Amino acid sequence: MSGWKITILCCHYTNEAMAEDLADIPAKIEIKSFPCSGRIEVSDILKALEAEAEAVLVAGCEKGSCHNRSGSMRAEKRVEAARKILEEIGMEPERVQMAFIPRLDTGAFVAAAKKTFEKLLDILPKGETTS
Amino acid sequence: MSNERYRSHLERVLREGHFAVTCEIGPPKSADGEVVRKKARLIRGFVDAANITDCQTAIVRMSSIASGVLVQQEGVEAVIQMTCRDRNRIGIQADLLGAAALGLKNLLCLTGDHQKFGNHPEAKGVFDLDSIQLLDMVRRMRDEKKFQCGEEIKGKSVEFFLGAAANPFADPFEFRVQRLAKKVAAGAQFIQTQIVYNLERFRKFMEMAHDMGLTEKVYILAGITPPKSFGMARYMKYFVPGLDVPDEILKRLKDAKDKREEGIKIAVEIIEQVREIPGIAGVHIMAIEWEEAVPEIVKRAGLHPRPLAEEVKPVEVRPVPEAAPEIISEERPIEEVPEAPPKVEVPAEALKEIFSSLRSSMEALRDGINLLHEGLASLEKALLGGAPKGIEAVPELGAPPKVEERPPEEAPLVTPEEEEQARKVADLLSAAKAAREAGELEKASSIYKQVLELEAENEIAKSALAEIEKELLIEDLLKKAQQKLGEGDLDEAEAAFKKVLELSPQKSEAEKGLEKIAQLRAAHKEAEEEVKPEAPVKERLEAPEVADILVFPEVASEYRDISERAAGIPEDIYKEPGTAYIREVTVGEGEKAITIGGTNVLPFHLFEGEMKNPPHVAMEVLDVKPEDWPEALAKYFDDVFDDPGSWAKKCVEVYGAEAINIYLLGTDPNFLNLGPDHAAKVVEKVAKAVDVPLVIWGSGSPEKDVDILREVANVLGSKNVMIGPVVDANHRALGATAMGYGYSLIASSPIDVNLAKQLNILLENVGVPLDKIAMDPSVGALGYGLEYTYSVMERIRLAALYAQDEKLQVPFVINVGREVWKTKEAGLPSDEMLGEQEIRGIALEAITALALLLAGGDFLIMRHPKAIEVTKKVIKGLMAQ
Amino acid sequence: MIIAERKPLARILQMIAPFERVAIIGCRGCVAICSAGGDREVEILAAALRLARKRAGRPLQTIEETFVRQCDPEYLTPLESLKEKVEAVVSLACGVGVNLAADLYPDLKIYPGVDTSFYGANPSLGQWEEKCRGCGDCIIDMTGGLCPIARCAKNLLNGPCGGSQGGKCEIRPDVPCVWHLIYERLKKRGELEKLTQIWPAKDWTPAGHGGPRERVRPDLQFNNNKK
Repeated sequence: MSGWKITILCCHYTNEAMAEDLADIPAKIEIKSFPCSGRIEVSDILKALEAEAEAVLVAGCEKGSCHNRSGSMRAEKRVEAARKILEEIGMEPERVQMAFIPRLDTGAFVAAAKKTFEKLLDILPKGETTS
Repeated sequence: MSNERYRSHLERVLREGHFAVTCEIGPPKSADGEVVRKKARLIRGFVDAANITDCQTAIVRMSSIASGVLVQQEGVEAVIQMTCRDRNRIGIQADLLGAAALGLKNLLCLTGDHQKFGNHPEAKGVFDLDSIQLLDMVRRMRDEKKFQCGEEIKGKSVEFFLGAAANPFADPFEFRVQRLAKKVAAGAQFIQTQIVYNLERFRKFMEMAHDMGLTEKVYILAGITPPKSFGMARYMKYFVPGLDVPDEILKRLKDAKDKREEGIKIAVEIIEQVREIPGIAGVHIMAIEWEEAVPEIVKRAGLHPRPLAEEVKPVEVRPVPEAAPEIISEERPIEEVPEAPPKVEVPAEALKEIFSSLRSSMEALRDGINLLHEGLASLEKALLGGAPKGIEAVPELGAPPKVEERPPEEAPLVTPEEEEQARKVADLLSAAKAAREAGELEKASSIYKQVLELEAENEIAKSALAEIEKELLIEDLLKKAQQKLGEGDLDEAEAAFKKVLELSPQKSEAEKGLEKIAQLRAAHKEAEEEVKPEAPVKERLEAPEVADILVFPEVASEYRDISERAAGIPEDIYKEPGTAYIREVTVGEGEKAITIGGTNVLPFHLFEGEMKNPPHVAMEVLDVKPEDWPEALAKYFDDVFDDPGSWAKKCVEVYGAEAINIYLLGTDPNFLNLGPDHAAKVVEKVAKAVDVPLVIWGSGSPEKDVDILREVANVLGSKNVMIGPVVDANHRALGATAMGYGYSLIASSPIDVNLAKQLNILLENVGVPLDKIAMDPSVGALGYGLEYTYSVMERIRLAALYAQDEKLQVPFVINVGREVWKTKEAGLPSDEMLGEQEIRGIALEAITALALLLAGGDFLIMRHPKAIEVTKKVIKGLMAQ
Repeated sequence: MIIAERKPLARILQMIAPFERVAIIGCRGCVAICSAGGDREVEILAAALRLARKRAGRPLQTIEETFVRQCDPEYLTPLESLKEKVEAVVSLACGVGVNLAADLYPDLKIYPGVDTSFYGANPSLGQWEEKCRGCGDCIIDMTGGLCPIARCAKNLLNGPCGGSQGGKCEIRPDVPCVWHLIYERLKKRGELEKLTQIWPAKDWTPAGHGGPRERVRPDLQFNNNKK
């Protein structure tokens, strides 16, 4: 285990993954579900980082398949806004990732989580955490 | 004579019904008043008044009012410009009172270009008033003697002849005339329009103005700008708001051979056309940074001489009375100025180059004009013995005078012959200056000498020649110093550098050179200390006989000439020499230098052609102690592994190496990642230890090799060595290094005919001549792709010799040893099946070498002394045919 | 409304560098409407500041609140008790709010979290345009309702200048020439004669060049129970 924590903010419809599905990723994975990814605010992303997450993955439905039509697109803009703020305060914007996941596709969800972990490998020197 | 009815000369010219000519003078971005005066002198007598811009395009320049005073001192009436951008109503009124007190008589009221376009875009724009309110305010100051606030002006007020601008080409078009009417109503008495190129739209505008009765109320002067180049016209079309340049004009300029001449022609044509438009009272010529074009345009448009010119008198400068220029009078030989179009002679060629970019051309031309001025002034001085300033002729670019047009009864101060000569001198001077600026010192020097032939006392030429001679001497000394430095003659180099510094104390090359000498001396001392306990070179180790497996009898002794063997067969059946030669590349200096290439046949086909040089073999020295050399190879050098210098020495002295390849393996970023200093030190040691030709082979990391080889070159100086490997990723940088120091290059490509060719082309494109290139096609050892290597090399060579593929006509450099000794087989211990390790290794290296010699290898790099011995033996035998 | 924009975080972090407890106070007036200083922006700013300070090893405690307005003294009263809880206040109100708070609570260290830029309209979501400069002497009855003071780069009163090209201002190709618009509009209305009059020099006193401006309604002052 890397000792890192990744927080996934996702819409109910994008995730059915169980703990064992994510067991391959050598990081602590925290999942927070929202009724729709469009409900995820910039401050939710920042607060997750504040709560010791090294990276945040925002997972929304594939474009066009959002239950609320444009929720995941809205989430994407929020991710961009959060990244800008991170840049302003000297953190790597790549710590916030956006993924569009086909509905309840556990494989794609796990893959996105893995990718987020890999991003962390790129940006964090070994063994270093924010805490 | 009295013009008391008029507020200004310009007003009088217009009111008396003359077609007026005004022009524009841009003040300098400095406090140099002479710039303004010079410009004024240039146009004196050719215009009725000159506008002085007020920080045009929001760029800070000398103020319009101050410049206007200078211009009037030179005998040209000024039209001062006032914008609303930089001053509020308080500042404007104050400045205008001052302007009036200083004798300025014309005022052009403008809103002003927005500060965004200038050199202080962060400035706070004032815009307290706009142009129309400004006009209204000044008119009331003048006519009602009231300040803007309504307070009475007690005593003298301003007496300006008031003008405004109009842009017929801005939008909305229909409103443009309305706005003109507003300006007239506010007080404008004359209008200067935006530059006219689009005559159709301008005619329409004038028609509307005429219909509204405006042409009865206001004098409209059409704006004229001679386009100086195609680039300038295009810039105006696309980047100057409201400037509509028709495509036809662009085309004319593009096609014109002499752009300036074409630009003047265009301006004259437009003047002729606007003159026909009812209501046009004159032209306003805006020759932007090209004031010297104004007289030419005015003359060619038939607007010269100016009416009432004698009325304009230079304003006396009371504090410095002796500076007052002579009054322009009828005695002034104005008619002498030729009417012929300027024939562009000597300077045109030199100047043409300078005109490539608009900006630099403006600068250069201005300099040229200044030079002409100076040239003429000094000529006059020489001829007339310090004639008064006032007689200074208006300079004309390269226009030969037409003697017969001069009224014969006039007694000119300068004879036509003298003037002709002056012109020649001026032309030559500007050509010389151009050549000098282009770095062609020799050419400049010869032109200056011509000047002196014409005019022995020409100060400009004299001093320029002296300077050039000094520069040449410095250049010479520097060259010599660098050469001596390269040869390692530090004392001589130092002396030369010091001399340079005496001549030119700030010369950085010399300072750097001295620094380097100091460093070299320090390094030298260090090296000497290191070398002192001279590593006792071990005696030659006897290598095992390989005859058991490789039988190389004395080939030469068995040779029978082909003509003997093929007796009776026509020669052309069995002989097919190539149609071209492989280029010869020389490495090293003096007797030990070796030359490779120079063949017109396939390897060793001596019966049908020639090999001017036999293949050569270099031995390899590493910059660090090798880690993976098998015992069979390492044992020959392990006593010298720690010192590349001794190692190289052993190769040469003990094993007879004819060249050394220094392989900078330790600098490999994936291995020890040693720095440029290390590499430079190693190369320096080897270069000191041996005098055979050197090849310097980087680690193969494209970026790192650039740094490494640059530093090596820095230490080595210009010596005839070969460096590599050059790949497409670093060919520019290494190509430049090689050219700078005169090195040859190893162009390394990944075993492909086309890529090899491509790299040679790239190198040629950056300026590396083909006879400084050798190819490394990337090779494989026996059992590791040897046949593929062979085939690619053979195809390259066939293309070079028989298919006229010029770019491939360069020799091959083949690194055999490195490939062979890293194979598994070379390192496996002795056993029954594979036999003895050392014999196996020697055989692998020798067989690989021979195969690649037959494929065309010209310069082999090898490691094992015995393998080299065998290879050389074979070469000797084959060459002895 | 008054348009504002959050200051760069580095700048705000610099202002509050000495403090460990800070209140971030929003305003539900203009700045909330233009998404620069409402509840949501307060929350984001507070989280961002805390995160930045945590990484810098100097954790920050924040109190987040948004007042109904900050340009009326009665809504600012909670600042009195905040003084005890925090060392400083970052206000996301426009400059008016920050100034009033600074006037009323001289002991309170209050810092601006936004740059107040202009009086603007919100023609479409996420976009604001300047329409008025508050010059104190409205003339748009003469210009078809379009203000040349706010919308002409040279605030001309006798426009359009020679830099008007194809209906655009020379300053930036995306800026319409307001004088071109005025011309088109008055032409359509048959009121072009309004533009043929010379507009006299403007009195800039009401625009603030006569010192800080005040407005007084004596009838209302009568009922004054503020202060």
